[in-house]
Amino acid sequence: MASVTLDAVTFRYPGSQGETLEALSLLVPDKSTHALLGASGAGKTTVLNLLSGSLKPTSGRILLDNVEVSKLPSAQRNVTQVFQFPVLYPAMTVRENLQFPLRNRGWKRADALARATEIARELDIEPLLESGLKALTLFERQLVAIGRALVRPDVGLVLLDEPLTAVQPELKWQLRKALRKVQTDLGVTMIYVTHDQTEALTFAAEVSVMQGGRILQTGSPIDVHDKPSHDYVGFFIGSPGMNFLEVEVRQRRVALAGWPLMSTLAADGDYRIGFRAEWATLGATGLPIKVTGFRADGLVDDAPVGVVTAQFGSTRLHVRHRGDLPGTDVCLQVKKYLLFKEGRRVD
Amino acid sequence: MFNRLLLATYCLYLILPLYWLLTMAFKTNRDIVAKLEWIPDSPTLANFAEIFSNPVWLDGFTNSLTYVALNTVLSISVALPAAYAFSRYRFLGDKHLFFWLLTNRMSPPAVFLLPFFQLYSALELFDTPLAVALAHCLFTVPLAVWILEGFMSGIARDIDDMAKVDGHSTLSFFFRIFLPALRGGLGVTVFFCFMFSWVELLLARTLTGSETKPIVVVMTRTVSASGLDWGVLAAAGIMTVLPGLIVVWFIRKHLARGFALGRV
Amino acid sequence: MLIKPVNQRAWFAVLPVVLVVAFSGVIPLMTVVNYSVQDILDVQTRFFVGFDWYRDALRDERLHAAFGRQLLFSLSVLLIEIPLGIMLARAVPRDSRWSSLMLVLLAIPLLVPLNVVGTIWQIFARGDIGPLGAALTALGIDFNYTQVPLHAWLTLLAMDVWHWTSLVILLAYAGLSSIPPAYYQAAALDGASRWQVFRHVELPHLRSVLMIAVLLRLMDSLMIYTEPLVLTGGGPGNTTTFLSQYLATIAVGQFDLGPAAAFSILYFLLILLLCWLFYTAVTAGDGGDRS
Repeated sequence: MASVTLDAVTFRYPGSQGETLEALSLLVPDKSTHALLGASGAGKTTVLNLLSGSLKPTSGRILLDNVEVSKLPSAQRNVTQVFQFPVLYPAMTVRENLQFPLRNRGWKRADALARATEIARELDIEPLLESGLKALTLFERQLVAIGRALVRPDVGLVLLDEPLTAVQPELKWQLRKALRKVQTDLGVTMIYVTHDQTEALTFAAEVSVMQGGRILQTGSPIDVHDKPSHDYVGFFIGSPGMNFLEVEVRQRRVALAGWPLMSTLAADGDYRIGFRAEWATLGATGLPIKVTGFRADGLVDDAPVGVVTAQFGSTRLHVRHRGDLPGTDVCLQVKKYLLFKEGRRVD
Repeated sequence: MFNRLLLATYCLYLILPLYWLLTMAFKTNRDIVAKLEWIPDSPTLANFAEIFSNPVWLDGFTNSLTYVALNTVLSISVALPAAYAFSRYRFLGDKHLFFWLLTNRMSPPAVFLLPFFQLYSALELFDTPLAVALAHCLFTVPLAVWILEGFMSGIARDIDDMAKVDGHSTLSFFFRIFLPALRGGLGVTVFFCFMFSWVELLLARTLTGSETKPIVVVMTRTVSASGLDWGVLAAAGIMTVLPGLIVVWFIRKHLARGFALGRV
Repeated sequence: MLIKPVNQRAWFAVLPVVLVVAFSGVIPLMTVVNYSVQDILDVQTRFFVGFDWYRDALRDERLHAAFGRQLLFSLSVLLIEIPLGIMLARAVPRDSRWSSLMLVLLAIPLLVPLNVVGTIWQIFARGDIGPLGAALTALGIDFNYTQVPLHAWLTLLAMDVWHWTSLVILLAYAGLSSIPPAYYQAAALDGASRWQVFRHVELPHLRSVLMIAVLLRLMDSLMIYTEPLVLTGGGPGNTTTFLSQYLATIAVGQFDLGPAAAFSILYFLLILLLCWLFYTAVTAGDGGDRS
């Protein structure tokens, strides 16, 4: 069981121009679940590879349970990994796959078998122990892969690289459930990499949103949703993402293209306001916008509720609305908003 | 590292006989047979002069290149649609057909000496590049289908469907989208077709006469009054390695890609 | 594995291939079958003799001898080239500037005309004027491949290894390159040794590619003709006369079309049988793969 600390870790791929990861720092408490969320190329898999030992940091330190492992080879780190597709030894049975990490560390056959059976039972794949891999479905094979990652009792950190990717959509929730169950039962620290925010926000206790090799924000799912510290985080999280409008602050008033909106304590300058679809309403007064569509996703008291898409100039907006649409020309009223300057949130 | 040492040793093993061929090409016959020397004492260009001046040699090259090119184009042309069919559809007898194709690759060329001679003579194709090209097809076509099918199976069928939705006609889809995606596979196939056809001797000798004598046959007839003319032979040998080298050099990117995709 | 739809019209796409191969293969084969059951004295005079020639061929002691030598040769060639090819493939750098250069270098022996291969080794292995021969002589061995059968065999093997191992290397390299890095990462995390990685990750992934390599080498070594002909001429005596050369001697040298044809058919069936035996033996444990 291990806490994970990344201390100002930098990494650059040999031959590439800039840093892939820039002075990344992160602390993941023992026995917790943490998600690294971001678009492709954000650097999430690089962090995983640094933690597993496939890559060595250019500078900075990596600590597992407060022991520095930055230069240690993979096999000595008590780290295991689950990949996007089931990575197993093709010619071995399920049981042999599960026992492999143990036998390599000198476990006796009987002990290894007992532990393998125990893990198989935990994942509900005990009946498959003697099967060859060809007979298993993709889902079952991924379960075996997870089993192999958990079979060593001294494993402190399990890394998961988009583990639900290869599995059929209807089975993804089952795999997620299995992961959550083993995490609680066995108390392992899990770091989960994904570009899917639903996976991240429903699985992990804490989420780090990454972009361009940096962590923009680390926080609970609620925090990153309601109080994004970066406009990118606001945009990436939520379905739909946050709306943004360019504004000016003059003498304590926020004005949008000349239209006064609200008062603020911020200093004069150019800003952006960010507001979620549910933080604004449509009505007769306010900022004039043009409605371009409405996607209903339910009924409340016989009135349709859903997301309205609208245009303000060249900016597309999303607003949650209940009831029939008042027409194409409506006005927007922002009830709650956050102020951003140069990407960062201003309090 | 043991691996690097092994590879280096093997590369040396590869290069040495070729180097020897090179040195022989620059020595006179007498010098070759007289003693062993790593670097020619008195190098001469006489052998190459002989090759470049004697039209027999030049013609030999042209003849060989002609039927090899013909064979490659022909093999790939017929193999492409067939490989596509095998990789995308099931049809009556498809497995048996595929297997039958492969068995043709297993027929010893020696078996076909006489029948080929009679067949092509009867069709008045004897002593033409087409005859050799067609004869070689027996071996290159099955391999081409085998290799291309493997590569095509690696290209997701989604591409086909997307192209149809986009309104491409079948031909346009084939040339604009499918073939470019197949570059690696085509590179590997061209390599194998060229390789087989260029190096083969038995059939090339049987089906050609004086008109289209290929270079490999010219070489086997290089006997002077004092026995085999090793020098000229070596020079010719070097010249026969060059076209292969050139072809491989030009398709090396596709080759590396194709072999790297592991679909051979 | 997506299921392929059934479409009988695919036959049109396959037709050109069938025509070309049938023309080049089936028609001549029919001629050979035709000859194999007749006694042909001259163009006009021929008699049907049934399976006589086949019986004769199967009883021919020189044929048995050539067959034995052929088997020994093919077996030796496979036993050397396949493991060597795999080992070398693992040593070839991947994803580096050197990769394409190495591939070109490895491809060269495959592109040398068969008679040139023989010619090179003719001189190369000579005791007096060839580096290999001279080196062996310097070591005290009286090396003469034209007179000592063992030397002739060893030279033949050395030549074939030089010529064809590259094919195995290229194919195995292709297979190795297609293994996703995740397998290597997982093995590293599992504490696997280099040997275990080879045995449990690389070898299983190489199975289909190795099958192709072995089948190709098996077929081609069974058919080998030009290289040994140029190097040893089948000698000393007939100690390096393999099946193709023996057939050529009968067919061309003796002009006995009937017996030669019968032998041809048997020869072809033999290769087919050996390949099929090998293929079924290896795929016996599978859930069934496409051919």
